[in-house]
Amino acid sequence: MNDRSIPVVELQDLKVKLGRREILHGITCRLGVSGTGKAVGLLGPNGAGKSTLILTLLGFLRPSGGTARILGMDCRHNMGEARSRIGYMPENDSFVGEMTAVTFLRQMAELSGLPPKAALEKAHEVLFHVGLGESRYRELRTYSYGMKQMAKLAQAIVHGPELVVLDEPTNGLDPAARRRMLKLVIDMKEEQGMNVLVCSHLLRDIEQVCDEAVILKDGAIVHHCNLEEERRSNRSFVELEVTGDDRDLRMALPEIGADGVSEGAGRWRIVLPAGVEVEAIWGLAERQNLLVRKLTHRRDTLEEIFLKAMGHLSHTPGESATMDVRLET
Amino acid sequence: MAVYKRGYQRYTGPLTGRWTRFMVLPRYAWRRLYEQRLVLLLTMVSFVWPLLCAGFIYLTNHAELLQGLDPEFRSFIQVNGRFFSIFMYVQAGFAVFLAALAGPSLIAPDLSNNALPLYFSRPLTRWSYALARLTVIIGMLSVVTWIPGLLLFGLQVGLAGGWWFVANWTLALAVVIGFLLWLLILGLVAMASSAYVKWRVVAGAVSLAFFFILSGVSEMIDEVFRVNWGHVLDPAWAVNRVWCTLLSVDPPEGPGAGASLLSLALFVLLLVLVIERKLRPVEVVR
Repeated sequence: MNDRSIPVVELQDLKVKLGRREILHGITCRLGVSGTGKAVGLLGPNGAGKSTLILTLLGFLRPSGGTARILGMDCRHNMGEARSRIGYMPENDSFVGEMTAVTFLRQMAELSGLPPKAALEKAHEVLFHVGLGESRYRELRTYSYGMKQMAKLAQAIVHGPELVVLDEPTNGLDPAARRRMLKLVIDMKEEQGMNVLVCSHLLRDIEQVCDEAVILKDGAIVHHCNLEEERRSNRSFVELEVTGDDRDLRMALPEIGADGVSEGAGRWRIVLPAGVEVEAIWGLAERQNLLVRKLTHRRDTLEEIFLKAMGHLSHTPGESATMDVRLET
Repeated sequence: MAVYKRGYQRYTGPLTGRWTRFMVLPRYAWRRLYEQRLVLLLTMVSFVWPLLCAGFIYLTNHAELLQGLDPEFRSFIQVNGRFFSIFMYVQAGFAVFLAALAGPSLIAPDLSNNALPLYFSRPLTRWSYALARLTVIIGMLSVVTWIPGLLLFGLQVGLAGGWWFVANWTLALAVVIGFLLWLLILGLVAMASSAYVKWRVVAGAVSLAFFFILSGVSEMIDEVFRVNWGHVLDPAWAVNRVWCTLLSVDPPEGPGAGASLLSLALFVLLLVLVIERKLRPVEVVR
C-alpha cells in the first residue's frame, strides 16, 4: 500500500470502555486518505463518543476490542512513531502558564523532534501565522481565551504534522475569531497539505471546512458522507417557478437529461443529472417560452443530513425531491 | 528574510534522536528553576560545606600545618568513611531543602494548566515524562551532592597519592550510590507532592513534612511497642543505615542495611504507584 492510499483513520470493530461502560460499540470505517490535504469532520451530539474516539486515536485510551489505526499505524503499538506525525489541539485549556508563547512552542516543537534552532524559527513563524506575532513574548497565562485557542492551534502545527486533530477548535470564540480559526484550518489543508480531523458539534464549521463527515450517535456511526460529493449531487436539485404555459415542460425536460415534477401554479421540482449545469434550465425555459420567476439551487445542508441521521427527519429535502420525481415518473 | 514576512511553512527537515528529545524537558525545567533567585541562592549556599571540607582535606594532607596539634586530635582528623559520612549528612540536608523548593514546579504547573495531553500527544510516553521530571530534580541535586563528593575524593587522591585511592576507592562508589539513593527518594517525594498539590508553597511543605512525619511515626512505633524496627518506616533513617554500611562506619542501633534497603524499595514502589495514578493524559471518571 503506498502512502497515498493509506487512510488517515481506519477503525475495525473498535470498542472502547470507560470503566464498565462501553462508549464505542464496534465502529468500523475508513476516513480520509493520507497526504491528500483533506478534512474529516466528526459530528455528534454530546455523549456520542467523539472525544472518546479522538482520545483513542491519540493512544490516550486503550480499545477494549477491535483495532484503530491512524496514518496506517496501530494506536496500541506504534503510537510513538505516529505521534511525531500528529498535531493535537485539545478542547480545554492546555498550556504552561508561566512560559512565554514562543518558549512554549519551541519546547513543544523540540519534543516533536525538531532541532533547537529550527524549533525556534518555527515557533516564531507559526505565532505570526496564527496572529499572535505581537504577543509572542507574553506569558501564556496573560492571554485572552481567543488567544489561548490560537496558541493551542499553533502548538499543534508548529512541527508541521501530517495530521492535525482539532477538538472543538471554535468553542467560545467570537465571530471574527471563529472566522479566522476556520480560515487557518482551511489554509492548513489547502496550502500546507495537512490532513485535518475536526471534532465539533457546530455543523456550520464542519460544513465550511470539511470534505468528509462522520456522524456518531450513542457510540456508533449513523452516517458517513462525502461532503464534496453531497455538494456536487445536491447542486442538481432545483426548485423552479415559471409563468406561461408549462404543460410541455415535463416532456421537454428529457432534452437536457433532467426529470421533474410539477407542483402546480408554475412550480416545479427538477432533478438534474450529473454534469448538467443549471444554465440548461434557462435555455429550456426560453425555448418553451416560459418566464422564469424563481430558480433556486436547493441543497441539503449538513444540518438536514445531521437531523436525518439523528432520526429527527425521515428524509432530507433533496431526497424528498428525488423521491417525488421518481414517484411521479 | 524577517520571520513575519516569511509566512508559515511545514517543517520537513531531519528530526532529532530519542535522547535529545528526552532531554528537552529537563533542559527547559533547569532553565526555569535557575531563574528563581531562591533556588540559585540555596544552591550557592550548598557549596559552602564542600568548600570547608576541601579546606579540611588540604589541612590533613599538609602535616607541617598540624605540627602543634594534640596527637589524639591529629589522629581524629582523617579523610575516611567517617569524614565522607559527615559530608554526606550535611549535603543531604541541603538537598532536602532544595528539593522542597524546586520540586513543586515539576509537575504541578503541567497538571494545573492541563498540559499533559499536549506532552503525551507527542512522542513522549508517560514513563519518559516521569523520568524526565525525575532527571530534573536528580540532576539539580547532583550538583550539590555526589558531584562535590567525587571532587573531594579526587582532591584527596591528588593530595594523598595513588596508595590512598587503592585503599579507599570504595568510598567514591559509596558516595555516588549513597547519594543517588537519597536523591531518588527525594525526587519521587517531590514529584508525588507536586502531582497532588497544586499550590507550590503547600507542595514544598508537604515534601518536607513527609520526612518529619515519618520520622516521628517511626519513633512513636519504637516507643509504644518497645521495638527498634520502627526505624525502617523512616526513609531518612533507612538511607542513613545504608550509607553506614557503604562507608563502613558504625551503624545506628536498629534494623540492618538489608531491611532498610527493602523498606526503601517499598517506598519507591509506593511513590511510583502514587505518581503513576496522577500522570494520565485524561482522567476517566468511573
